[in-house]
Amino acid sequence: MEDDREKIFAAIRRGLRKDQHSDTERDGRSPLNTPLFADFQMRFEKFSDELVKLGGEAYVFSDYQGISDFLLEHITDDAGVFLYDEIREKYDRALSELKSTRAYKLSTDFENGYDKRDVAAFGSAILPCAACIAETGTIVLRNNMRLPAALATRLFVITEPARLIASLDELFTEKFRDAGGSNLFLVTGPSRTADIEKELVTGVHGPKEVYVIFHKE
Amino acid sequence: MTEIEARHFKELYKKQIVNDQLRANLSKATLQAVDSRGESFKEVDFEFLRKQAKMIREESVSHLNQLLSQFEDHARENGCKIFYAETPEKARAYVLDVAMKNNVNLIVKSKSMVTEEIELVPFLSGKGIETVETDLGEYIVQLAKEKPSHITTPAIHKSRTEIAQLFHDKIGTEMNNDPKFLTAEARRVLREKFLSANMGISGANFLIAETGDAVIVENEGNARLSTSSTDIHVVVTGIEKVIPKFSDLRIFMRLLARSSTGQKLTSYVSVLRGPRREEEKDGPREVHIVLVDNGRSSLLGTEHQEVLNCIRCGACLNVCPVYRNIGGHAYGSVYPGPIGSLVTPMYFGEKNAPDLPFASSLCGNCTEVCPVGIEIHHQLLSLRNEIVAAKKSRIERFLFKNYRKTMLRPGRYRMMGRFARMFSKSALVRRMMKQWTDYRDLPEFPSQSFREMYKSGKLN
Repeated sequence: MEDDREKIFAAIRRGLRKDQHSDTERDGRSPLNTPLFADFQMRFEKFSDELVKLGGEAYVFSDYQGISDFLLEHITDDAGVFLYDEIREKYDRALSELKSTRAYKLSTDFENGYDKRDVAAFGSAILPCAACIAETGTIVLRNNMRLPAALATRLFVITEPARLIASLDELFTEKFRDAGGSNLFLVTGPSRTADIEKELVTGVHGPKEVYVIFHKE
Repeated sequence: MTEIEARHFKELYKKQIVNDQLRANLSKATLQAVDSRGESFKEVDFEFLRKQAKMIREESVSHLNQLLSQFEDHARENGCKIFYAETPEKARAYVLDVAMKNNVNLIVKSKSMVTEEIELVPFLSGKGIETVETDLGEYIVQLAKEKPSHITTPAIHKSRTEIAQLFHDKIGTEMNNDPKFLTAEARRVLREKFLSANMGISGANFLIAETGDAVIVENEGNARLSTSSTDIHVVVTGIEKVIPKFSDLRIFMRLLARSSTGQKLTSYVSVLRGPRREEEKDGPREVHIVLVDNGRSSLLGTEHQEVLNCIRCGACLNVCPVYRNIGGHAYGSVYPGPIGSLVTPMYFGEKNAPDLPFASSLCGNCTEVCPVGIEIHHQLLSLRNEIVAAKKSRIERFLFKNYRKTMLRPGRYRMMGRFARMFSKSALVRRMMKQWTDYRDLPEFPSQSFREMYKSGKLN
């Protein structure tokens, strides 16, 4: 089907002849009223505060047993766990008990593609992340499977302290712009809506629970 | 020109303004949104963000041809198919064509004002393709066979009891008006739709020229599912949504959610760069981006160009005393409130919405909260001026011409004053001015002018 590109561009050119601006000089300052958070502890406190306000939770564990106990405590159903392969490789010691007691699948089990109903059946998904943002309590995902994080009832992210960045100013930079892949997803707390009389309800389509674990060695 | 309901604003608002339930719902919802907005801006410098956002949007619109072209090149490199549509008909035909070629029978759609503008859902449904709105508010209004009444909270006009009754009647849920229960029911029904659908449609809040990305912000997760759970994803958006740089998102992300819902950031932001890559195991195999003009380019170079800077946050609706009393449906347009009163006549023609620019108290609240610094109330005034000038009412022109002459000539002014004092008490004159006096006072003129009183010494 022939589109209207030329017609639209001609109309734009006609209009813009009357009103041309020069390029805008960006002001690179941060708009935050408080200074940026210097060390991990300060950033974590801010991140955790923001996430808790939204209904999520954030923890720091320095041992694998702590992570293992946490996961066993929070994954109590038999709906199955989706485990991102990168997580399995890094945190195998923390996952051994979970794997022996809960049904799970690895991302590598879906090497040849999958039916979305298979992924929708998982109750929990455990994923790595590209970054976390202290300013807003946000998780930044750039994985090669989009749906587990969108369909699971509980979302767990396990990551290292170095991935916790201070603010959105650090996210929207060349580093993340040029990281490759077809998508960058920002997740800020559980899925939510206030469409019925402005009453906040979590878990409308995406995860109802969101947990972020920092493994501090 | 397709006729739209906005043409009948005067009848529509009279129906809505007497609906006490509607006014109560609106008042509660909008005041809560205003409070949350105020709270959310405490942590950031609003004026700094607004200034930056305004500059970036002005740059975007005034370089629209270059930026669109740049966006198009990068989006194609990313594997997207780009289609420009001058009219709603053309955009609808393209989306239908994509659906037909891929034997699509079920489409999941996330919230998009442009798809409302071009009436895409009724069109596709009319062609036998089930098209389901998946944003909870949009789903509610779709079930009710209504139109959204707010840009970001489409079912703001409906109470929980009305929604419970609607769900009971349409999807067979038990009568329970708890929002948690109703939301869970919607999740259950819509989850099945996501798993069965073979095409997804979304809008885009921003298009990034330097990367070819489409950026979508939302809270529910339905846009993520609409854009990722099917083999085909179609983005339908306006040509003005393009911004120059990825780094500009640091400004807009901080402004949009705060202005819209009082959040620091929405629950989800998807930055989408074309179809799935070889190493990716899900995501769409085809991504189409439909760029709709529908009157936007005609605003370039006019004094209304700044209206194209709008980022559709809905903040102006929440603070508008007129919107708060009559609600979105009274405007008879997919774009209600102050910004709707501007955009509707501009996109759909002044003849389709001759009264909307007058649906404002010109209090300026809208301008004060606009995150991209659009002078909304000045724009409304300017549009009023154009509409009045185009009407060329002989009586009005005669009266204003004489008013001007009277104010310029003292003798004539004194004479007219005497006439006014003589006839203002007349019952006949008052009857003739009924249309004016029905809504406003016409005070009685004093028997003498100030000058006469002064001369006679009455003021001493």
